[in-house]
Amino acid sequence: MSVLLPKTDAAPPPARRRFFDWRAWVVAVTLLVAVGLSILLGARHQAQQAFFGMRLFPLKAAYDFELRGSDAQPVRLDQLHGKVVLFLFGFTHCANVCPTSLTNLAQVYQALRPEERKQIQVIFISVDPGRDNAQTLQEYTTSFDPSFVGLTGTKQAIDQTVQAYGGSYQFVPGSSGAANDYSVDHSAYAYLINRSGMLELLYDNEKLTNIDRMVGDIRAVLREQ
Amino acid sequence: MTSNKHGQPSSPLKDRGHNLSPVICHLSWGSFQQLSYGMPKLLPLSRSFCWVFVLFFASTGLTFAGDQPSIQVERPWMRAVPNAMDVTAVYMTIVNNGATSARLVGGATGLAESVEPMVTTKEGQGLKQVVGMKKVDALEIPPHGKLVLEPNGNHLMVMGLKQHPKEGDQIDFTIKLEPGDQELHLKIPVSKTPVK
Repeated sequence: MSVLLPKTDAAPPPARRRFFDWRAWVVAVTLLVAVGLSILLGARHQAQQAFFGMRLFPLKAAYDFELRGSDAQPVRLDQLHGKVVLFLFGFTHCANVCPTSLTNLAQVYQALRPEERKQIQVIFISVDPGRDNAQTLQEYTTSFDPSFVGLTGTKQAIDQTVQAYGGSYQFVPGSSGAANDYSVDHSAYAYLINRSGMLELLYDNEKLTNIDRMVGDIRAVLREQ
Repeated sequence: MTSNKHGQPSSPLKDRGHNLSPVICHLSWGSFQQLSYGMPKLLPLSRSFCWVFVLFFASTGLTFAGDQPSIQVERPWMRAVPNAMDVTAVYMTIVNNGATSARLVGGATGLAESVEPMVTTKEGQGLKQVVGMKKVDALEIPPHGKLVLEPNGNHLMVMGLKQHPKEGDQIDFTIKLEPGDQELHLKIPVSKTPVK
């Protein structure tokens, strides 16, 4: 052992260095590939996440509701085929969330260029036909933007529409006990239907406050085929 | 916090302004003598001058941290609504500079029948989530804290509107606070969008 030791000491270093160099290359190449892949995958992920709203997948045809317009004439969603439709549920005795959402949508609408506006329709659907008649609804919705449309209908038509979009609402009695003193808890999403009539994006009332991102989404949807 | 005997005193002391009092009480006598910001040669401060200094800041501290809640209202506004509506909401930020908690219990205006504090409620998950509002007896304004009334959140609901002021109008509005049945009379703007 004591005789061999100097020999083994002298021989290994060059061999070990070569071995180390080879390993270093493998590690470097592996790292490069990993970084490259993660950047690529990250970019793809970002592309999928590019929408600010919650994107539905797979897209499905939007339920073709039929409700009453301000002139009490029936309005069907299908009549707006070719336009991007943004609609939300609410009621005009709503003091906070509904006017906030409609004000935000009006700001989004006014931030768009005139040629883009022609391709957008904002609709407010009242789930409270007992207190919201056609005239009230018309005055209410157009106060946010003259182009906005208010719709309502029979309880059956409203329930079918709310259900078809996965939403919900319920009447909550007020403190006075009077028959017309009640509030309505309701879905506070805005539903975006693209020009092909597919329900594509959802926004909760908090998201609607981000005007720039909303405008970005609408422009992206308008660019779609 | 301590200063270097040979160089300049540490600068954070200079910028703290009125909040210095607790800091100063804990500083050593040595650091006091060096409160001559940025001067190459230190001016000797007399011991009595330092005590005046300490008492001054201690008294300002007392003013701000008294027993009574000290209330300040920021950016109040009422939402302009069309004539078809008989309800609206008032928003503001209420700052409590006092050491005890205060409560917003209501409000009043000649334009409407009643004003009630409300919280926004969320029930359920995902698509089935419903948003609503609920009347509460009071909204707390924590000591050294604030209560934010804002669109989509807590608010003062104005019910039974008799008049519909337009955007740009100013209205008289009173908020009611406890403890002590205090009333704060405000002139607040009417606007369609939040007041900056």
